[in-house]
Amino acid sequence: MTALRSTDVSKVFEDGFTALSDINLSVEPGEFVTLLGPSGCGKTTLLKIFAGFYAPTTGRIELNGNDVTNAPPEKRDTAMCFQSYALFPHLSVAENIEFGPKQNRIDRTSRTGRVNELLRQVDLEQHRDKLPNKLSGGQQQRVALARALAIRPSVVLFDEPLSNLDAKLREQVRREIRGLQREFGFTAIYVTHDQAEALAMSDRVVVMRGGRVDQIGAPEEVYERPETAFVADFIGSANLLPFRRVDDHSVETALGRLTVADQPDSSARFLCWRPEDAEFGVTQGENLITANLSERAYQGSYTELHIPLPDAPDQRLHLPGVAAGIGDRITFRLSPERIRFVRGELE
Amino acid sequence: MTLRRGLLILALLTPGLGVILLMIGSVFYVAVMQSVGFYNLTGEDSFSLEHWRKVLDSKQFGRALSYSAYIAVVASIGSVAIAYPIAIWLRRPFRGSLVISALLKAPLFVPGLVASFLFLNVIAYHGIVNQLLMWIGITNAPIRLQNDRGAWGVVFLQLWKNMPFALLLLTGAVQSISDEVLDAARDLGAGGFDRFRKVIAPLTVQAMQASLIIIFIGAAGDFAFQVTAGPTNVQSMAQYMVFLKDSFGRWNQAAAVGLSLMVLALFGSLMLAFTARILSKSGKW
Repeated sequence: MTALRSTDVSKVFEDGFTALSDINLSVEPGEFVTLLGPSGCGKTTLLKIFAGFYAPTTGRIELNGNDVTNAPPEKRDTAMCFQSYALFPHLSVAENIEFGPKQNRIDRTSRTGRVNELLRQVDLEQHRDKLPNKLSGGQQQRVALARALAIRPSVVLFDEPLSNLDAKLREQVRREIRGLQREFGFTAIYVTHDQAEALAMSDRVVVMRGGRVDQIGAPEEVYERPETAFVADFIGSANLLPFRRVDDHSVETALGRLTVADQPDSSARFLCWRPEDAEFGVTQGENLITANLSERAYQGSYTELHIPLPDAPDQRLHLPGVAAGIGDRITFRLSPERIRFVRGELE
Repeated sequence: MTLRRGLLILALLTPGLGVILLMIGSVFYVAVMQSVGFYNLTGEDSFSLEHWRKVLDSKQFGRALSYSAYIAVVASIGSVAIAYPIAIWLRRPFRGSLVISALLKAPLFVPGLVASFLFLNVIAYHGIVNQLLMWIGITNAPIRLQNDRGAWGVVFLQLWKNMPFALLLLTGAVQSISDEVLDAARDLGAGGFDRFRKVIAPLTVQAMQASLIIIFIGAAGDFAFQVTAGPTNVQSMAQYMVFLKDSFGRWNQAAAVGLSLMVLALFGSLMLAFTARILSKSGKW
């Protein structure tokens, strides 16, 4: 049985703004699905529709096979982790965690057991009597997660839970969330605008733009085989070039004539390749490109190089090490298998 | 803190706090001394508890005390009880909410005596309430509504006058609670009433206490509403105090009543504030 399903869900707010259009999504039990997209793409609106805070204008929401489209949040088998943690400031850590089970009339012994177990799992046993304002951001996020898990929901909804944490802590809490998700086996719907977070955590990624789903797939799939120019550009960095089809195996671009493995279909608008796809030190074979560098940005493990093109965006290359400077002439190869075709428009 | 620093702080506070303490202190001192036989208008000053005995033995005093306490409790709790749902309703702005909020606070700008007079005009024999009752056919002739023995008129006026004040304090406090905190409570299974008693009330308890205390003190010492629209078979403490002074020239007994009113105001408001704190902490109401 599907843990969560949305069918033709749309949302139009009172001021006429259309936040979501025709969202169809099925999430399997125990799956970790991330809603990924830029600000204003409708991902949080969709999450709040799943939670019951917003009613969809059209469409249907099912939780574990039950229609919950019009059910209020308190009647849904979901729990939410909020961006601001939303801990009850007047209650201690333990009382915050106990709030949900108490509300659901779980007996005192079971409640205490759950609270103690969760405190141990999120490593906050020594902080159980503290008020939330005495905890760090990471600790508060762990309390929020424990509070959500305490009601044993079948689906946990995460609304950009790591956005208030610094980079190092974000990675640590990210691992903790994924670890707890695997341990408890709950279904997770996770909202973020951070593509690295989405790729690292998810079983599947739902890339959204302008209230619509652009692509759904495993992280490797959306990264390696983006279907639209937006997905290619939003997830990682991508070089997008207009092209003209020459024959079944080659296209004409601003980089010159390129041999391709895929054949572009009629909806394809751009040729796409990743900066790390450039192969250096190769002097023979197809798709050898020589160009002058216009910009260089050292990134630690690699150096980003820019190649200017007439009537097309700069193309970016990721060169391991630092052995290139502005004005240098370099040669690289693009493997035909690494060249994709995507539909859609550039932002 | 050094002595020098302490003295400096005291000196800096003196112009403000000193005047207040001097004013309150002198009034309180005179009232206390007068109630035990000093500061007489005529006759010799001498220490005596006779004035207190006469006041405390008086049935009129007992009735005035319980009546004022009753009005103050009903006014403070009633005002807060009415103001809370309105404050929650007005928590997030909507079309017209500003106008509604302004209208609800309008009674703050109407002096109590004027409000009483207007109220009497509405419920008097010739008022629109009686006219309406006769026009609908419920009564054949005007009925007496003013100065009712149950003090409903005074209670109404107290709520009308004090609810906006409670609303003023509670609106700010309720608005300071984030949407996400309330959403979290809802998400964890709390319905409307549970969200109020487990989240909103504890997080706004200070505004609630301030409302209860200030309204209680004002209502306990009410004179204008009582004299204009109150029942004629019982006096409020303030009315009784003035009555003793004006009708019999019993300044010393009036001072004893005044001090009793202060004790009632202090004790009652503290009790209400304490009860509000306990209830909001336990979440068992």
